[in-house]
Amino acid sequence: MSTEPIGRELVLGLAILAACLAFALASPFFATPANALIIGRNAIELLLIGLGLTFVLAGGGIDVAVGMVMGLAAIAAAHGLLMGLPAGLALTLAVLAGTLLGCLTGMVVAIGRVPAIVATIGLYGVYRTAIFVWLGGQWLSGLPSGLTDLLSGTLLGLPVALLVVVLAYALAHVLLRRTPFGIHLLAVGHDEDKARLMGVNVVGTRLVAFALGGGLAGLAGAFHVATYRNVEMTIGSNTALDAIAAVILGGTSILGGRASLLGTMLGIILLRVLQNGLVLVGVPSLWQTVVTGLLLLGVLSLEGHLLGLGDRLRNFWRQPA
Amino acid sequence: MKLTSLPKARILVLFVLWLALLGLLAMFAPAFFQPAVLRSILQFSTVLALVSLGQALVVLGGGAGIDLAVGAMVSLVAILSMLAVRAGLPGFLLPPAAILLGGLLGLGNGLLVTRLGLLPLIATLGTLFLYGGLALALTGGGPVPGVPAWLFPFGRGTLGLVPWHFLAFVLPVFVLVALILSQTAWGRWVRAMGFRENAARLAGIPVSRVRLLLYVTSGLLAGMAALVTLAWFGSARPNIGQNLELESLAAVLVGGVSILGGAGGVFGVLAAVLFIVSLKTAMQFSNIATTWQVGAIGLLLILVLLIDRRTVRWNA
Amino acid sequence: MSWKKIRIAGVLCGAALLAAAGSAMAAEKPKVAFVPQIVGIPYFNAMEAGGKKAAADLGVDFVYSGPVDTNPVDQLQIVETLLNQGVQAVAVSVLDASSLAPVVEEAKARGAKLFTSDSDAPDSGRALYVAQATDEDLGHTIIDELASRVGGEGTIGIVSGEATATNLNTWISFMQEEAKAKYPKLKLLEPQFAGGTAERAAQIATDLMTANPDLKGIIAVASTTCPGVAQAIETAGKVGKVIGTGYCSPNTAKPYLKNGAMGFTVLWDPSALGYLTVWAGKQLVDGVTLTALNKVPGLSQPVSYDARTGVLLLGKPAVFTADNVDQFNF
Repeated sequence: MSTEPIGRELVLGLAILAACLAFALASPFFATPANALIIGRNAIELLLIGLGLTFVLAGGGIDVAVGMVMGLAAIAAAHGLLMGLPAGLALTLAVLAGTLLGCLTGMVVAIGRVPAIVATIGLYGVYRTAIFVWLGGQWLSGLPSGLTDLLSGTLLGLPVALLVVVLAYALAHVLLRRTPFGIHLLAVGHDEDKARLMGVNVVGTRLVAFALGGGLAGLAGAFHVATYRNVEMTIGSNTALDAIAAVILGGTSILGGRASLLGTMLGIILLRVLQNGLVLVGVPSLWQTVVTGLLLLGVLSLEGHLLGLGDRLRNFWRQPA
Repeated sequence: MKLTSLPKARILVLFVLWLALLGLLAMFAPAFFQPAVLRSILQFSTVLALVSLGQALVVLGGGAGIDLAVGAMVSLVAILSMLAVRAGLPGFLLPPAAILLGGLLGLGNGLLVTRLGLLPLIATLGTLFLYGGLALALTGGGPVPGVPAWLFPFGRGTLGLVPWHFLAFVLPVFVLVALILSQTAWGRWVRAMGFRENAARLAGIPVSRVRLLLYVTSGLLAGMAALVTLAWFGSARPNIGQNLELESLAAVLVGGVSILGGAGGVFGVLAAVLFIVSLKTAMQFSNIATTWQVGAIGLLLILVLLIDRRTVRWNA
Repeated sequence: MSWKKIRIAGVLCGAALLAAAGSAMAAEKPKVAFVPQIVGIPYFNAMEAGGKKAAADLGVDFVYSGPVDTNPVDQLQIVETLLNQGVQAVAVSVLDASSLAPVVEEAKARGAKLFTSDSDAPDSGRALYVAQATDEDLGHTIIDELASRVGGEGTIGIVSGEATATNLNTWISFMQEEAKAKYPKLKLLEPQFAGGTAERAAQIATDLMTANPDLKGIIAVASTTCPGVAQAIETAGKVGKVIGTGYCSPNTAKPYLKNGAMGFTVLWDPSALGYLTVWAGKQLVDGVTLTALNKVPGLSQPVSYDARTGVLLLGKPAVFTADNVDQFNF
């Protein structure tokens, strides 16, 4: 039930290698430490949001409002900085705001029993209006550098952001595979009614998954402020669909019950490598969405075929001589 | 019993909301009730109504059916058919070409779902990126002008107060689909497979073929919507279908179709489309900042679903 | 329970409608509206502020309303509703040159004046166009200023916003024209489009710097891309090596002009443009014929009008640098 689809991760890993090789041959500027750092930095928000979405999807939910949650959390952090709060507090504020909004989403879904896709489409509109109203037409730009110093620096010679992402994924792995919550979440995603019969608190488990997703989106909001020192009205408008595409690409089932954290990570890295590499070899940025779509459709339909082929081969060998 | 009461409750809510909106407008903004406003509401309803009908059919057919690519199909059809005209396609072939292209794009979605076995959300998320991206990339983002002038009356003209495209497209297709759904075996198949897919398969319903056809229909309707935008604006725009995927889903759900499939009717969807466009127009008319519109529609969606959950529980 | 919710929502809506209706009934003043390309960005907010000031000075009722996405259908719907409300003059910053065509006839039938401001639709039959500066001036100024700072040679990147925005694409084409005509050693890269987010603008700007180590400058064409481009230059540690510039308001660009990530920016005073827009609307409603040079109360410079093209010109674009940016507040 909770086995990870190792095949997908292998496919993604190979795809990343192949893409890197191709770009390295095509552009002398691709395979440099500086560019690797740039790709990593551009992936941070999506890595955190994708991680949260992996939990939400594992429990059989979906969240198309997650980009707006990141936006609201970023505004909270930005206002914190402008009021002169220390960076640590601004960071806490962002995570707290994200968690609260995630709870709200979770309540509509888990308690109100509105299907997640419907509830989050509705909340997308509501949160978006909240962003408009809160910003009131003024961009927050050239923000104080407190969060930048905290999150864009290095610790023990390693980028803080890298440490945060690795730590978050490690904790998430423990949470998903080694705790009752993780087992319950996958059970709820797999079959809600059976899980309930087994005594799982379905409502609570769902709620926590959405809260977790919100909290990680909040953390992503803090990183957004740290990296760009700027919050504008359109913040997060494309984030949710990109993240959902990457998580699905990574092998997490959209029906719930199956999750791959490593897959999510690799899916997002592949997306960012392609986006970066295409600009470096001179492809107009307008083609990037086309590539994302082809990648998503290609990997998922190819996999279906390969798996089918594998089954057929296996059956062939199993046939008695 | 329980399943049929769900959409009915939602339609009741929609009806009450209509009355409330009209009542408020009558009291506080009587100038709203002028022929030109009605004309304008119908004018802006056509595109949303057409893609919402396709969306409704796909959702009705169940199997986690959803078509996130409706807006992207409208954009890409508009661009492709105008590129074809520029490449020498005779102008009089533009209307059938646009509708046909829409059908082809819908066929793409349908094949991904039925032949390759991709979940509809994944397949149409992929084509949302693919179709939408192509529309932008093929044109570099600019509009493609040059729609034959004889099409303009169709996009901008009216018979009395009713825009031609509303008369020629929206009314006939809604009536036709309603008839098919209620009077033919196909219609019963769609509901049956949306309601309980395995039982439908066992009963011998060609589920895959029906589903394929539903996605093709959604594409054909998107093609018609694209044709309307061409005749209306006089040029193809690569982002003309922006946001239609979410708006059409909102209309379908507010209109009483169950996201799980099987339950709901198309006239509820038309009522919901007209309500959403009227609400936007009314807020605009009352000088409420447009930024509140997205929130109001989002809230409407959540409230309607929360309310009918409650009524259903009372009934059960 | 559910009815209560509806009733509460109803009362809230009612209150809002009442307020709106009240303000509409009180006024017999001429109504002038401005429809921006998108609401909620500082640039158009500044135009709104200027329009409000003009409305107070001139005794006009001013309505400001625009779409939340850069979507021509939503913009058209707003224009139509304004006409139905009986607004006598509607100014539009058009998203796309042909998007105005469907309502021009309707406006004429109603006796309302439809005109453009900030972004034009020349062949639509609009009454006139209130221009911040000519498109040529805008495109040429930024290239001339940039060329003088990089010694007339080098590679320059262009980051724009929505690929569908007519006005931005026109400016880019004038930049390319000027570079080709005057600075053969200045190489303009193909424009890249970031959509509406600063995040994408920053990513694209970063990738441009990586792909072109000899890059001398990056032009942020849409005001939405300004902070992203500037931040990317700062983060990449290329301050002083790459000159950031663009059509950026002094308030947005100030921190970046001060730290050197941006060398200069080109813009006009959007609040003056908003003021002029409402003034022009009033003249149209009153049926005043504009002359070649018009004295506008509230604006320091007289405003020129070209009767042949129907362009009312605010003036030359202004160049903002670290030295003069503190004198402006918009």
